[in-house]
Amino acid sequence: MAILDKNLSLRNRNKMLVGVYEDEDNVMHATQSLVDAGIRVHDVYTPYPVHGLDRIMGIRRSRLARVAFFCGLTGLSLAVTMIWYMYVHDWPMNIGNKPERFTPSWIPVMFEATVLCTAFGMGFFFFWRNRMLHGVKNEVLDLRQTDDRMIIAVETQEGMDEKSTLELMKKHGAVELREFHNGVQTIL
Amino acid sequence: MGHGHHIEIKQENFVVPAKAKRFAILMMVIGLVLTGIGLATLGGSNAHSHDAVAHETEAHAAESHQENHGGETAAAHESHEEAHAEAHGNVENEKFGPRAAFHAEEKPAMTRFWANLLVAGFYFLMISLCALFWVAVQYVANAGWSTAIKRVPEAMLTFIPVPFVVLMLAVLVAKTDLYHWAHYEHLHLGPGDAGYDKVLDGKSGFLNSTMLLAFPTILVAIWYMLGRKLRSLSAQEDQATKGDVSFFKKSIRYSAGFAVLFGFTISIIVWLFIMSVDAHWYSTIFGVYNFISTWVTAISIIALFVVYLKKEGYLAIVSDEHIHDLGKFMFAFTIFWAYVWLSQYLLIWYAHIPEEMYYYQIRFEDYKANFLGNLILNFCVPFLFLLMRSAKRFRPLLVTIAVTMCLAHYHDIWFNVFPGVFGPGMQIGVMEVGVYMTFAGLFIYWVLTALTKRGLIAVNHPYIEESAHHDVGV
Repeated sequence: MAILDKNLSLRNRNKMLVGVYEDEDNVMHATQSLVDAGIRVHDVYTPYPVHGLDRIMGIRRSRLARVAFFCGLTGLSLAVTMIWYMYVHDWPMNIGNKPERFTPSWIPVMFEATVLCTAFGMGFFFFWRNRMLHGVKNEVLDLRQTDDRMIIAVETQEGMDEKSTLELMKKHGAVELREFHNGVQTIL
Repeated sequence: MGHGHHIEIKQENFVVPAKAKRFAILMMVIGLVLTGIGLATLGGSNAHSHDAVAHETEAHAAESHQENHGGETAAAHESHEEAHAEAHGNVENEKFGPRAAFHAEEKPAMTRFWANLLVAGFYFLMISLCALFWVAVQYVANAGWSTAIKRVPEAMLTFIPVPFVVLMLAVLVAKTDLYHWAHYEHLHLGPGDAGYDKVLDGKSGFLNSTMLLAFPTILVAIWYMLGRKLRSLSAQEDQATKGDVSFFKKSIRYSAGFAVLFGFTISIIVWLFIMSVDAHWYSTIFGVYNFISTWVTAISIIALFVVYLKKEGYLAIVSDEHIHDLGKFMFAFTIFWAYVWLSQYLLIWYAHIPEEMYYYQIRFEDYKANFLGNLILNFCVPFLFLLMRSAKRFRPLLVTIAVTMCLAHYHDIWFNVFPGVFGPGMQIGVMEVGVYMTFAGLFIYWVLTALTKRGLIAVNHPYIEESAHHDVGV
């Protein structure tokens, strides 16, 4: 499970400062001003994708594309091995007097197996990496983050000015401010 | 792309740079000179010497031979070969006899020129139509991102009448030399006559001169009128007050009508002009295959114009994000082209029915380099390069691939026509390059001029704001 991203987990972390927002523009502005103030934003939770947030948070490009490529290669080699074993090696078949070596009839199987492994592999690795696999326990800051609220979480660091951070969140339209530590939420 | 940055949407008026004008005119002039050289070197008769005819006849005899006796031993095969050598004078009765006879027919040397006009006219007609289809699809799909670049396909669709006139001229002047069925129609044969062809007779209800004239003319006229309507709605919208969506709503209705009509009828054009070159042969997916070939070319050309306009300092609201998405379209339809190509090939290869096979037989056996090159340039090269994100965002590479695709898909159409009209032994020569360059120069000049006719940005389009903020993410 090494691929599971521990950074995404809220367990065993310093105290979290949490701002709750109702509007995506406010979330964008708040995140921007936090980043501008040199504060590292742990994560922003939104019920739907907010364009531009990834750039503001400085999230690097996803490596999912590379995962997809290797899943595809796996699918392709599986298909070739399977067809070769069944059709050429184990029980050579003569269908319509077509040759046994590589023929166009292999291509649809190769294509489908590639697509299948790519799609399933991407889904699997996406969920794995994002701690969303079945059975993985996650702390949730606010259940409404999947409904109509947006959450900014900032992990407190040594020597951080918590008060001004919270003020910054408030200034940009946070409707609620909270602290989160060891699974306990305190409304501020 | 940071949020909160207000993007100002300003109207831009395009002026064709003198350099671009010179480039387009130079291209036309070189094209005309090359076409002239091609015409001058044609000679009096067609490309087939008597040797070539004899060779072809033998080749076909051997083909049909393998057809019937593919599973037999080499010895039996040889003896058949001998027996065959005696019989091959009677080509007409061979399986591919009528076709081989049509290829062997003495054709005027000019046929090559008309065939070139057929290919170029069809290619540019389809590209202009695909540009119109692009506009319609964006409306029907309620697409926002492409609004910033919509004036480019709107300019491309104005080209529709030019290649259509050339195309009609070519087929009307030279139809009996280009199309076997037209040649046959000309002979007025009935059952029992020598040389009576049951297949061509059976198809004569659709494949006849009236259809060739009427169907495309009516369809292209309707499509073009709908295209002009969409274009004028778009122009009226620029003059309207901001927030007036009536033009947008009307455009959606016209687009939906056009998209449905075009989707059902585009195949008819392809059957009449291109598939009927191999008159005995048919393939149900052929219309889709030719459409996709030109559709992906049209998208490449839109990308080329957008990159060019960006380079000249226009289209301020268009960013790498839009160009990236055009690259994705090119990539997706490259795969789809290969998918459709294989769908057609695979079924024919598997069923192994002689009357279906001959389309590939002649193209694979006599044109192996073209056959494989077509696949490599139209699929392998764009696929492998466009797979990378950087290739879709790095303009020099994207431009290189787009130009490759334009040329390769022209070869694709050429490859559908020339082996069918002339049989074996044709190659891309000076004239093919010349005709293509003339058309391409004219097309560039025409589209750039059309772009000056109105503002480059659809400032009052309801989705222009969305398009200006388009972002595909990190």
